[in-house]
Amino acid sequence: MPLYGDLGNKLVQHAKRTQNLIHLPPYQAELVRAVAREVRDLDRDLKSILEPFQGSFDPTADQATACTLLVNHLSMRRNKRCLLAYHRTRADKLEELVWSGADVLDLAGQQTAGGANGVMGANDGGASSLSPQEEDYVRQYGDLLAAYKGQWTDIDLTGSLEPPRDLFIDVRVLKDAGEIQTEYGAINLTRNSQFYVRQGDVERLISQGYLQKLG
Amino acid sequence: MSYYDIDAILTDAEKLPCTFQIDVPDLGYLDNAPTQTLRAGAKVALPLWLAEMLAVANDDQGKSFVNFDLPRALGNDVIQALKADPRAVPLRDQSAHFFGLATRMMDLLAEEQELGSVLRKTFVTRATEIALHARKVGGGGKAAGGDDGASNLGVGGAGEEFLRGLDETERKLFRKAHEGAKAAKEWMENVKKH
Repeated sequence: MPLYGDLGNKLVQHAKRTQNLIHLPPYQAELVRAVAREVRDLDRDLKSILEPFQGSFDPTADQATACTLLVNHLSMRRNKRCLLAYHRTRADKLEELVWSGADVLDLAGQQTAGGANGVMGANDGGASSLSPQEEDYVRQYGDLLAAYKGQWTDIDLTGSLEPPRDLFIDVRVLKDAGEIQTEYGAINLTRNSQFYVRQGDVERLISQGYLQKLG
Repeated sequence: MSYYDIDAILTDAEKLPCTFQIDVPDLGYLDNAPTQTLRAGAKVALPLWLAEMLAVANDDQGKSFVNFDLPRALGNDVIQALKADPRAVPLRDQSAHFFGLATRMMDLLAEEQELGSVLRKTFVTRATEIALHARKVGGGGKAAGGDDGASNLGVGGAGEEFLRGLDETERKLFRKAHEGAKAAKEWMENVKKH
């Protein structure tokens, strides 16, 4: 027979798995709803137990009821902790994705298979698995980060921390990215073509998985 | 231990053998009998988050709702085996959060001095062994890419058995030690190249 708190535990096990993944697994909407429902059920039980006492319940006079209430209360508190920890783990992950420059919302809806681009920890897939609230969070966090970064135009806060060896690099185009403007004119990035470009011009595209750095 | 710490929450779900001290009509479901009264003296396995508070809460005579015993993972058999050789016991089979659980229990049972010292010695002895393995592993090529926490530690050979028996705390230790050794090696190679 399942106990109160078992479902919450399942949620936390999901969170545990999430911590070790590069992408974000699907949001457990069903499970979250079930845990929230459990809290509501417990709260209803609690109210109905307390009702006959009309607000004058004395725990020392009625040990058994006090114990039941305590178990109820602890179960709710446990569920709350599980819910919060689950969502916080995911929110942390989302912030990480935003900072690493993954185009989280662009990827939403399209299940991209895990790409072979290890460059700068590019992230694929998973974005389609956000809850509506999480999508909102990512969007607003992205705006916040952009506003923050906007204060310094001559430095890219989310740029690579690795000092470049060469100013120019070879890249292969993995996905059509259209035309980009560089100091040396426009380049049309069509799939499977190869270019010798300035690293600074394409860093963003590499981290978003459009280009792959060669050599 | 943070409120949001996933491992702390999972440790909190470990079960303790508890004995109820009072009759509680509404809690029969804890003992698989929802319609019956839970009698005083009933033995029920309760998660730590429940057992701890029920044991701490008491009435004016100092009687608590439940009394709890040490979990089997910290039982006499295991402790005796740890005394003999800490490295020979696969802790993970006892509990995936063995040291997390042990720490929580020691907080509650400060008087168990001997248990505490056995556990301390166990941790230190095994930590040395872990550090040794972490340095050896993946010395050749790259270590298996994704450490998905489950199994993919990229280990082979004699240490495999020992490493499979690590609990969560030890796995973290292993991973840190391994990453540290790897990063140091990479750095050294970089220095030589330039």
